[in-house]
Amino acid sequence: MISTLQLSNLVLNALETSDEAEQTALTQVTTGRLVNADSDDPAAAAQEVNISSQMNGCDQYLRSISSITSELQTADSSLNSVVTALQQAISLGTEGANSTLSQQDRTSIAQQIQGISHQVFSVANLAYNGTYVFAGTASTQPPYVLDSSAPGGVRYQGNDHMNSVDVADGESVAVNQPGSQLFSAQGANVFVALSDLSTALESNGSTSDIGDAVTELRGAYDQLTSARTFYGSTVNQITGTQNFLNSENVQLAQQQNATVGIDIDTAVTDLTNAEESRAATVQAAASLNGATLMDYLANRGR
Amino acid sequence: MSGLTGTMWIALNALEAQQVGMETTANNVANLNTPGYSRQVPVFQEAPQYLEGSLVVGGGVEVEGIQSLRDNLLDLQISEETQQQGNAQAYVNAMDQVQTLFPDDTTGIGQQISAFFQSINSLSTDPSDTTLRQGMLTAAQNMATSFNNTAGQLTSVRQQLDGDVQQQVQQVNQLTQQIATINANLPDVGNATQEYGSLIDQRSALIQQLSGLIDVSQLTEGNSLTLTTKQGAALVVGGQAYALSTAPGSDGVQHVYSSQGQDITGEISGGQLGGTLAARDQTVPSLQTQLDSLAGGLVTALNTAQSKGTDMYGNSGDKLSNLFEPVTGAGAAADMALAISDPNLIAASSDGTQGSNGNLANFSAVANTVISNGQTPSGAYGNLVFQVGTAVSNQTSELDASNAMLQQLQQQQSSVSGVSLDQEASNLMLYQQAYQASAQVITTVSQMIDTLMNVGAGSS
Repeated sequence: MISTLQLSNLVLNALETSDEAEQTALTQVTTGRLVNADSDDPAAAAQEVNISSQMNGCDQYLRSISSITSELQTADSSLNSVVTALQQAISLGTEGANSTLSQQDRTSIAQQIQGISHQVFSVANLAYNGTYVFAGTASTQPPYVLDSSAPGGVRYQGNDHMNSVDVADGESVAVNQPGSQLFSAQGANVFVALSDLSTALESNGSTSDIGDAVTELRGAYDQLTSARTFYGSTVNQITGTQNFLNSENVQLAQQQNATVGIDIDTAVTDLTNAEESRAATVQAAASLNGATLMDYLANRGR
Repeated sequence: MSGLTGTMWIALNALEAQQVGMETTANNVANLNTPGYSRQVPVFQEAPQYLEGSLVVGGGVEVEGIQSLRDNLLDLQISEETQQQGNAQAYVNAMDQVQTLFPDDTTGIGQQISAFFQSINSLSTDPSDTTLRQGMLTAAQNMATSFNNTAGQLTSVRQQLDGDVQQQVQQVNQLTQQIATINANLPDVGNATQEYGSLIDQRSALIQQLSGLIDVSQLTEGNSLTLTTKQGAALVVGGQAYALSTAPGSDGVQHVYSSQGQDITGEISGGQLGGTLAARDQTVPSLQTQLDSLAGGLVTALNTAQSKGTDMYGNSGDKLSNLFEPVTGAGAAADMALAISDPNLIAASSDGTQGSNGNLANFSAVANTVISNGQTPSGAYGNLVFQVGTAVSNQTSELDASNAMLQQLQQQQSSVSGVSLDQEASNLMLYQQAYQASAQVITTVSQMIDTLMNVGAGSS
């Protein structure tokens, strides 16, 4: 015989079970997550720690890439103006080597060359966000100072170190080219070459002296343009990395969703099922009420 | 006795018997919702036969007693299952709080560790920038704070569980006292289920409550009952209760002692007390140890990285400040703290210049270095998440299984001992009909006696 209390307990337990199922389904739908506590799926939760740390890492790499890209591009476009200026100096020098020119013309060209030297000097001391970009790692002070005792009248006080920045797991790129590779390389010093050219022009030297000075400047120019390719190729490299990180991020998000997220169709179906099951239980409970023989006895008395 | 008087007597006894039946039914219906109540039935038996001349005549009915219907084996099974259920329930309740301390997504230690390593990568793009340096210091501070908070909350969970242990021991003592009092009121021999049904019901309900709190072994002999823990510490022997006691142990938490003064803390395996003790003495301390190891490992590795560089003031080697206060071992997570507040003291440079970021690679490398229990910082945290999750999930499955088992056992018990209104109604009709019939017999006998009396009175 099923006791009356037992029957109401059965109903109560069934209600509790379907309540719980409904609650779980509702939480899943509202949070969009299958794993709402570590215990829902411990392995998935531990995996998510890893995935979310990787996603954060990706985001950070992307931020770093965008910050170093703009620094690299600024340096590159500044160097572009140096290249133009040096090309002008070379053609001026070639013109100055022409034997038909008067000394006055040569002096005037020499002044233009000095002007170009000042222009290059100011670019060589370019600062980005307070950091001197061509100073190696001694980047908190201007790398080039005027010093009459130094060859070419300009002294390099930076170093030849480079900084590297991680742009992806296991991938780091150098982010600066020291001035000692660009402007003041051994035997290819832009300032020395410009100074030599200007001296040769001013001192009314032979056309061959001027020609030698132009050749020296060409050498310095070649060194600078070749060292400058660093910027273009680094920007290319990290643009590639950026694309990789963006697709990595998408993939990680998919992985995260597959690990702890819900399949919305399944979750909504679960919720509907839980709600229906609860409604059915409630209805069954309501129809149970009062259906005992006692009621018959009571009615019989009337 | 014989003749009409005899018949009258049988009918009167029957009336009385049916009335007892009505009373038991009334009592059953009244106790429909009383927890632990066992349905009672009157035990009817034939009254002794007697001789009428040469005939053997039936003597009617008599009530031998009122019996409570219960199944002792089921009671025992329910008690066992209740111990497991209480154990799992207390453990899950405790650990549900703990698992919120180890989130897997956007908050907590894991997130702060990863934010710290991000701040290092940020700084590497412009190592002399004060804002970025401050950013790394702030991220380091946040990481330390998240360790401090989690360690603090683990400690307070443990203290709370310690308080629970004391309370549960008090509840155990109250229940054993009540059970002993009932034992004292029961005679050692005799059919207790028949005569002392309500006392046995009460005692049974108390034993179930006790089983929810602590592991219990029962030994019954006649009506006398001995309760001990599974490991044999006496709780109740007959009319005597043996109270457990608590006192702080050398490890700073409450230990449970038997009445003989024996430390039984490690032996209690069932009921809420068992679950609470398992969380307090095993799971939470193990998490604390691992958290300390992770914090200590991070502090040591990051200080080592710091020691290899040069700060903005040109300090290197012995002149450098530590990044974190050098804490290791027990309490490392709670005590983790920055040793510097000046961002220029971060040793980012590898060549002594202020613009070098070379030493930051040593900091970043810590993210992929084994620093705690054979794991990287993020791996060690992931492992904590896994452990906490698994502990809760295992015990939740146990709890679900226990609940289902218990429901089934209670249904079984209910079908033996529970009150069914249908059954009571049908009994009520039976008793009523029997009562009416017996009353009819009395009326008839009474008329017959009248007839007899009037014999010879003639036509008066």
